[in-house]
Amino acid sequence: MSFVRSSVEDIRLVSRGWRWGRRPQVPRSAEEWVPAARSTVFRTDWSRRRPAMAAREVAQKVGLEPLFRSQVRTRVEALDVLDRIDGPVIFVANHVSHLDTPLVLLSLPDEWRRRTAVAAAADYFFDTWWRAVGSVLLFNTFPIDRRGGSLAATPGEVLADGWSLVIYPEGTRSNDGWMGKFRMGAAFLAKEHGVPVVPVAHRGTFAAMPRGQGWPSPGRRQLTIRFGEPLVCGADESVREFAPRIKDAVAALLDEDRTTWWEARRRVASGSTPDPSGPSVAQWRRVWEQSESPAPDAPARKLRAWRR
Amino acid sequence: MSRPGFVLEVDDRTPPLVVHEGLGFRLEDGFPLGTRVVYPPESIPAVPDVDAAIREALLHPVDSDPLPELLFAGMRLTIAFDDLSLPLPTMKAPDIRGRIIEHVLTMAAEAGVDDVKLIAANALHRRMTAAELKHIVGERVFRSFYPQGDLYNFDAEDRDALAHLGTTDKGEDIEISKRAAESDLLVYVNVNLVAMDGGHKSVGIGLASYKSLRHHHNAKTMVQSRSFMDHKHSAMHHSAWRIGRVIKDTVKVFQIETTLNNDVFPKPFDFLQKREWEWSVKDQASMLGVRRGLAAAPQRLRHKMFHDMRSVYGLTGVNAGEVEAVHERTLQKVHQQHLVEVQGQSDVLVMGVPYLGPYNVNSSMNPVLATCMGLGYYFNSYRGQPVVRKGGAVILYHPLNEGFNQLHHPSYVDFYEEVLAESTDPAVVGEKYEQQFAEDPWYIHLYRTSHAYHGVHPFYMWYWAAHAMDHVDEVIWVGADRRVASRLGFRAATTLADALEMASGTVGTSPSITYLHNPPHLLADVR
Repeated sequence: MSFVRSSVEDIRLVSRGWRWGRRPQVPRSAEEWVPAARSTVFRTDWSRRRPAMAAREVAQKVGLEPLFRSQVRTRVEALDVLDRIDGPVIFVANHVSHLDTPLVLLSLPDEWRRRTAVAAAADYFFDTWWRAVGSVLLFNTFPIDRRGGSLAATPGEVLADGWSLVIYPEGTRSNDGWMGKFRMGAAFLAKEHGVPVVPVAHRGTFAAMPRGQGWPSPGRRQLTIRFGEPLVCGADESVREFAPRIKDAVAALLDEDRTTWWEARRRVASGSTPDPSGPSVAQWRRVWEQSESPAPDAPARKLRAWRR
Repeated sequence: MSRPGFVLEVDDRTPPLVVHEGLGFRLEDGFPLGTRVVYPPESIPAVPDVDAAIREALLHPVDSDPLPELLFAGMRLTIAFDDLSLPLPTMKAPDIRGRIIEHVLTMAAEAGVDDVKLIAANALHRRMTAAELKHIVGERVFRSFYPQGDLYNFDAEDRDALAHLGTTDKGEDIEISKRAAESDLLVYVNVNLVAMDGGHKSVGIGLASYKSLRHHHNAKTMVQSRSFMDHKHSAMHHSAWRIGRVIKDTVKVFQIETTLNNDVFPKPFDFLQKREWEWSVKDQASMLGVRRGLAAAPQRLRHKMFHDMRSVYGLTGVNAGEVEAVHERTLQKVHQQHLVEVQGQSDVLVMGVPYLGPYNVNSSMNPVLATCMGLGYYFNSYRGQPVVRKGGAVILYHPLNEGFNQLHHPSYVDFYEEVLAESTDPAVVGEKYEQQFAEDPWYIHLYRTSHAYHGVHPFYMWYWAAHAMDHVDEVIWVGADRRVASRLGFRAATTLADALEMASGTVGTSPSITYLHNPPHLLADVR
């Protein structure tokens, strides 16, 4: 074999074996021997200053938004709740896909979007400098440590600076599209800083780009996102009491998105809101149900001249 | 914090794995799913202060008086040390033996000892060159002793310099260096790289002649050494222990044993001792660079690239005192560094034979040595039971194309051309030809005056592999020269898939496979 050809072979072998451009994988039997990642100290305060904000505005408006809209269709409901409150707030959403963050951010009115930061897993988005810089510049992320179960000091500082936060209390993307257990972090922050929580529910991102997929499925899948009434932690309400209230609000929003506001309200009143963690049926049925996109508003327009 | 060794099970997430093959390595992506890969433990921490550790060992030895108390004016002091076959690869200067010898000599000078000789315990290995001796003992010791002839290689064929100390209860002759036997104190400085080294093997074998060695270096003993990495179950070590105990009655031996960690590959080869899925982008780039460099380089340059490598071992322990007590402590450290628990045997054992073995330092890995390395050292890197089942298959990677070094291995050429052409059975060739090669005057002449391994040495290499040959039914070399493999009595395959296909007659079409991912060194503790 010629030198050039064997070099190409070698590079191909390494690029495939070590998944160039993708996240590296650890063989299953070696997982227990992987050393725990050192906690990342990555300062992100620069990303909330004017130059970074300007760069982010360009990146989101010129790059991210057109690309996002070209791949998926979105339907945003109940944004009017934001008219009735002043920031900062904590947006709490269910989490099933990497599309969730652009969906939430690009659904927000510009003045809200520019002042919103996203809590991102330190061990995932901040494990290499380039991934950290990329996600910080594009999505205004800041690292939180999800291993310890408690949030790092940073979210409080970000809130105190007047920034709204997007937090996914599940801590990770769902494996089957159904909602997982909510952690207390968001409720704790809301109580600690006295800010309202805006529940957010979205559907369709799992069907469009589930975990493990690097790009949205073809066909411009429909995504829906719905904002709920702000929730405020009562003075004598504990974090433990407040956290389930947030989860119930998100569950009710999901129900509302699937049916109607009136039906969802009646189910809330009767305590029969469908469990957002899904039915206890075979795993494939759970995935099957979630892999169906919400119905689009209107049939996709197709130009007659281009129809095949 | 160093991680212990473990057994990987190849799955769809496993990247291609490094397999050493002579002056290079392969990225093998053809391991069937479910193949077990045994990874050695990571390097255990080195002692923070080497000089302090050496002093501590000499002043507070195990089951012995402190060294200064054993030294007195007018005594005959002999310091013997392991030759260049240890460690592998050669240690970056300063060599630990040199540092220890300096401490011993400092104490000897303080005690007023005049009569000091330093002997390289090379037994039937080749004489080391002055430069090689200097690398081991250090410039200061070399300058003080070598020009006067007080630092020299042991000569197992100098009848006047040998002393017969009698026989063991099993009738084994004990003939070792006369100077060592007649000394008031024999200090032995060893490098215990793997579990087979050290103990009574140091003096009893390192300073012994053919007459003594033939009792345990033979096919029958080696087949009964299961394995020779486990001295309690090794017939060879039992013999060495019997011999050592007789020597102990004749001469006072002060044994100094050292253990090293697994920092075998220096930069830029350090990716070779990392687990592949943990390779950083830099490691991948280094690997590609090295591989492409090796592919472009002529054989001579590749040989130089590898053989110029100097390892940056860390010292993990130094123990001194009575031989057996010291060796127990040494083995604890060696096991801590090398032991990996493996559950059960497998049908096929895969091993990559690297560029270096104990007998081709600054030389070439000829086919006999490659066999010894694969079927001898690596196959025997087990405790309990062999990694491969009785009647299984062994697959080795090595091109077997390095040829013979005429300076170092002259008798190997005849062994390969004449002896192996007739039979590859260790017992048969030993019975028929060993004596003739051992007593051949030309080989003896080359051994004594040149830098040749003793005439009988290729037989020993073949015996080393006797246990493996007896245990498995099939040996296949991947990427090897077919004619050479055939001369050795084995078969050659181009790829692992071909080798498994060829082995299917012995082990079936879906055998269980275990790959020993060494170097760095490991010792499979097969339960």
